[in-house]
Amino acid sequence: MAVAEPYLPPSTGTLRSRVYVRVKRRRRSHAAVLDRIAIGLLAALTLMAFVTPLLAPFKPNLIAGDSFSHPGARFLLGTDEVGRDIFSRVLFGLRASWFASLEVIASGVIIGGLIGLVAGTAGGWIDDVLMRITDVFLALPGPILAIAVVAALGPSLQHTLIAVAIVWWPFYARIVRGEVKSLAARPHVEAARLAGVGRIRLAVRHLLPGAIPATVVTASLDVGNLVLTLAILSFLGLGAPSPAPELGAMVARGLTYLLQEWWVPIMPGLAVMFLAFVANLAGDGARDLLGVA
Amino acid sequence: MGRLVARRLGAMILVLLFLVVVVFSLQHLSPTDPVHSFLGANASKAAVKVESHKLGYDRPLPVQYLRYVGDLLHGNLQMSLRTRRPVATDLRHYLPATAELAIFSLALAGILGAVLGVTTAARFKGAGVFRVLTLSGASAPQFLLAELGILLFYRHLHWLPATGRSSLANPPSGPTGFLTIDTLVHGNLHGFTDAFGHLILPGLCIAMIPAVSIGRVLRSSLVSTMRTDYVRTARAKGLREVVVLWRHALRNSIGPALSMGGLQVGLMFAGVVVIEQIFAWPGIGLYTYQSIPRSDFPAIAGITLVLGAGYVIVNTIVDVLQAIADPRIAL
Repeated sequence: MAVAEPYLPPSTGTLRSRVYVRVKRRRRSHAAVLDRIAIGLLAALTLMAFVTPLLAPFKPNLIAGDSFSHPGARFLLGTDEVGRDIFSRVLFGLRASWFASLEVIASGVIIGGLIGLVAGTAGGWIDDVLMRITDVFLALPGPILAIAVVAALGPSLQHTLIAVAIVWWPFYARIVRGEVKSLAARPHVEAARLAGVGRIRLAVRHLLPGAIPATVVTASLDVGNLVLTLAILSFLGLGAPSPAPELGAMVARGLTYLLQEWWVPIMPGLAVMFLAFVANLAGDGARDLLGVA
Repeated sequence: MGRLVARRLGAMILVLLFLVVVVFSLQHLSPTDPVHSFLGANASKAAVKVESHKLGYDRPLPVQYLRYVGDLLHGNLQMSLRTRRPVATDLRHYLPATAELAIFSLALAGILGAVLGVTTAARFKGAGVFRVLTLSGASAPQFLLAELGILLFYRHLHWLPATGRSSLANPPSGPTGFLTIDTLVHGNLHGFTDAFGHLILPGLCIAMIPAVSIGRVLRSSLVSTMRTDYVRTARAKGLREVVVLWRHALRNSIGPALSMGGLQVGLMFAGVVVIEQIFAWPGIGLYTYQSIPRSDFPAIAGITLVLGAGYVIVNTIVDVLQAIADPRIAL
């Protein structure tokens, strides 16, 4: 049964007051503790990603010892087929994956948000055209399309990011447009319009801020999937070329050694799972705190 | 209902046409010259000219596009630059294995997702543990599951095979191309269990992420349905909880889970490509994996068209299924 909660006003008002209310409501629950741990971990991970070169005990692409050393005190996660330290390579791989995911999410949010905002505020035929385009993109399988785009442009990390960004924006266009449409009927927007506020200012100052919570929540729930999709592309050889410490590619190259030197392909795989897990958990937390959907 | 089906079919054809446009434009954005990679770097100018005329690459773009669509309608998908066979022939060769694996995984994802959603819909202790478990399921990349599965069930326990579709020397080759069905048609029970055993591990690895997403969506929509008045009425009538759940609540809650399942197919297909390579499954995924490093774009284009069409068709079916489960949607 639900535990009796202290009465707090329903979540309306500004983003900050909404978060505040939610945080207060959830302060004592176990879920809230988990949320906070996840968001903390994610922050730590981001910080670590910035200082990876300082943290890694060895250079990721240089031979550090014998090949296939077991995981142990000297090599935390063992060494690979040529004797490179897997722990250092995994750290650099995590950093690359995390930054890549953030870049793609950011470009998806910006491109999709812009299209959604224009469609939502302009209305009429502009809205129709933009949303039909968005719909057909949404109706196609993103990851498969991304593979085709990278294969066409030629495999490289940059092309992979472009390809995934191309298939990732439509979702955000839909969400921002939906929010903007529903906000447009609110009194404060009407008041602004009556006060003679121009179209662009209306969109940016009065409509866009209202669309932010839903977008942030969607983005944070999305990061985990994105991490996995990018790892798949890297596994397929569509990321940075060979010696680069990329998690998916490390798994693909290490597969041959699975039955004897299991740590070579398993460790980078575990790192992908760790990153996706922390991102998913933090995304859940962000949704609960912002109280959208 | 009939009108809904017609409308969905119309939308499906439009989306498929758009897919063709996307693939065609990608082919022309590609910096690799198909004729050069077909003939090799040292081909003479004259040979390149002859070959590009033969393959139709020297015509104006609109003409090429019309030819492309026309060829597609005749089932012609150009020549693979790697295997030197028509892409359509290659795909026909690889498709049954992938279709069998994908359908099996989709069914598995649906069943696991339903079980997960229904069993956890009731409020219970340890919801936090459940959340961590499902989130780990949703965060495990397919290749990691495959590795762990191979180490545990193949190397350690010797329960399941880890490569290929069958260990028979001469698996039956007809009539459907689905080994599990073909062996049954030929009355080969040993062959059937063998083929089925080969499906389990790769199927589970592909099904895990969609199963967890379906389960989570089903759970949350069931939880909100179980709070409605009509469910309270059903309970007040004295119906058993199981009956309330199956007869009354599930039908109204299954819509979001179905559309989630449809959306997950995209990531699932990418998973198929990875899993086929790990398990040496002779399907489209393996074909993709081999075509990428050789920049065999005609092959990739064919694969994208086939998998994209599969995705669009599955989602059209999902739309219709949703309307069957909840007829209000068709209105």
